[in-house]
Amino acid sequence: MRRFIVAACAALVVTGGLAACGSTTNGGAGTGGAGSAANCTKSKLASQLHTAGKLTVATDNPVYPPWFIHNSPTNGKGYESAVAYAIGKQLGFGKSDVTWVKEPFDSSFAAGPKDFDFDINEVSVTPQRAQAVTFSNSYYPVQQAIVARKGTPIVTKHSPAQLKNYLYGDQLGSTGLAFITSKIQPTQQPKVFDTLAQAAASLEAGRIDALITDTPTAQFMASSQLKHAVLVAQFPTVGEHYGLVFEKDNPLVTCVNKAIGELQSNGTLSSLQKKYLGIYLKFPTIQP
Amino acid sequence: MDANSSWAPGQPAGAFTATGRGPRLFSGGGGTQAKVVSTVSTIVVLGALAAVFLLAPGARAVEHEFFSPPHLWHSFIGNPGQGYYSVGAAIWLNIRMFLVAEVLILALALFVALIRQSAAPMLFPIRILATIYVDFFRGVPLILVIFAFGFGVPALRLPFVSTQPDVVYGVAALVLSYSAYVSEVYRAGLNSVHFSQVSAARSLGLSHATSLRYVVLPQAVRNIIPPLLNDFISLQKDTALVGTLGVIEANKAAGIYSETVFNFSSFTVAAILFLILTIPLARFTDRLIERDRRRRLALGAP
Repeated sequence: MRRFIVAACAALVVTGGLAACGSTTNGGAGTGGAGSAANCTKSKLASQLHTAGKLTVATDNPVYPPWFIHNSPTNGKGYESAVAYAIGKQLGFGKSDVTWVKEPFDSSFAAGPKDFDFDINEVSVTPQRAQAVTFSNSYYPVQQAIVARKGTPIVTKHSPAQLKNYLYGDQLGSTGLAFITSKIQPTQQPKVFDTLAQAAASLEAGRIDALITDTPTAQFMASSQLKHAVLVAQFPTVGEHYGLVFEKDNPLVTCVNKAIGELQSNGTLSSLQKKYLGIYLKFPTIQP
Repeated sequence: MDANSSWAPGQPAGAFTATGRGPRLFSGGGGTQAKVVSTVSTIVVLGALAAVFLLAPGARAVEHEFFSPPHLWHSFIGNPGQGYYSVGAAIWLNIRMFLVAEVLILALALFVALIRQSAAPMLFPIRILATIYVDFFRGVPLILVIFAFGFGVPALRLPFVSTQPDVVYGVAALVLSYSAYVSEVYRAGLNSVHFSQVSAARSLGLSHATSLRYVVLPQAVRNIIPPLLNDFISLQKDTALVGTLGVIEANKAAGIYSETVFNFSSFTVAAILFLILTIPLARFTDRLIERDRRRRLALGAP
């Protein structure tokens, strides 16, 4: 359907109707929250969906707790799986109407056409990313946390000045890496890996002093994935949050934002956070 | 003791002489007409390619994503405060890795090739080991070798061995993998020297080692310089794989930029830098091939 709109635009350009076409496209995405309840039903959304009648949701593979349980997005368990189904329900999609596709983290927020309606994969919203894709409103506010080897200096010595002296490692393109370079500003270049698992392996081998990632992931790494790691502390949130990723200017975001707003006000999001993410409040918060 | 060419001087060389680059396919004669035809066809082909690129529906987007001048510049010079590092500075690491690896590969590969070529019964177990080595490292993808070294060796927590910088593991993996290939190139070179050369050298009273050193190797190496340099051009680019160990080399620096700023122009910068490295070597290889061809055909200096 979207291809048809592009073709129509092209035709309009030829006949000198560029302005009309441009304003139509912008109008759809720009007026966040303007969609009335009547516009956000399954049938009204049909023209905006990747596959008619289905809500196509993407995430990476494999996926980890507490965001997904048993590497299975379709079971409705884990925070992100539950949120995706809750949004679907809010828009009138039953559980069977939600289909999942696999999308690697890196390519999920690259510019270009997308094979999904939205991607839910702990993608932090940044202004740069927002130039390439369209983000929904927040479905989870994020804090960053330090993971280190048990018994290493950083576990006890992590004043802002001391933090600068450690060797960090992190995943390419992660907000943890951005936090390291922009907030901590260490004296040594950090090591930059293609995956968080590689950074973790490097940590386990004692090749880096610490890695920084969002508190939920850090907690899971320290408690389950890594034998010798500990979550040292977390940093105050810098306004970072996770958003759903849409193809740039996909008008569907309007109704999805509306659904997120409803889930926020009716307490669904906070109860899902308590259910799946409640353990993260206990860690001390320190200054970078 | 030079290997004789089948093209003796004075023999009509036909299409060989026209361009000085050996037999050409699709040769259509020379002269003004040829120049006109080649100019027109070049313009048509390049024009068509440019048209495809410039008139594509996404041409503007691609131009912005890959060829944006400010992004090209920013990624080249870097800005750690903004979370990305200079691609231009990072290429130095690739160059250093390449230079060190190249020397080690030349030595190790020759050693392996000589073992595999040796006939001494006493060396049989080492020959077997050398064969296994070549089979193994040619068969396993380089990136896995780099992984195994970069993550596996430090995880062993051995003194000294496990505490080296990541580039050391990366270069070690490059050397082991490429030496397996290059040893086969050496072997091809050694095999290309006719056995009568050795017989002649030995009959002159040269020892086995001396005839190898002064008769066989010089001829063998001259024959394999093009494929050898071909492998080194490939090696220059494969230094980028060491980035998987967390090392910020050019490709990794470009990746960090694109993930931070959401623009791929940094990869264009890395590509240009790699081209600047490899093209001179490629042209140099062409010159060596041409020089060798002329010498063998006795066509005189180019």
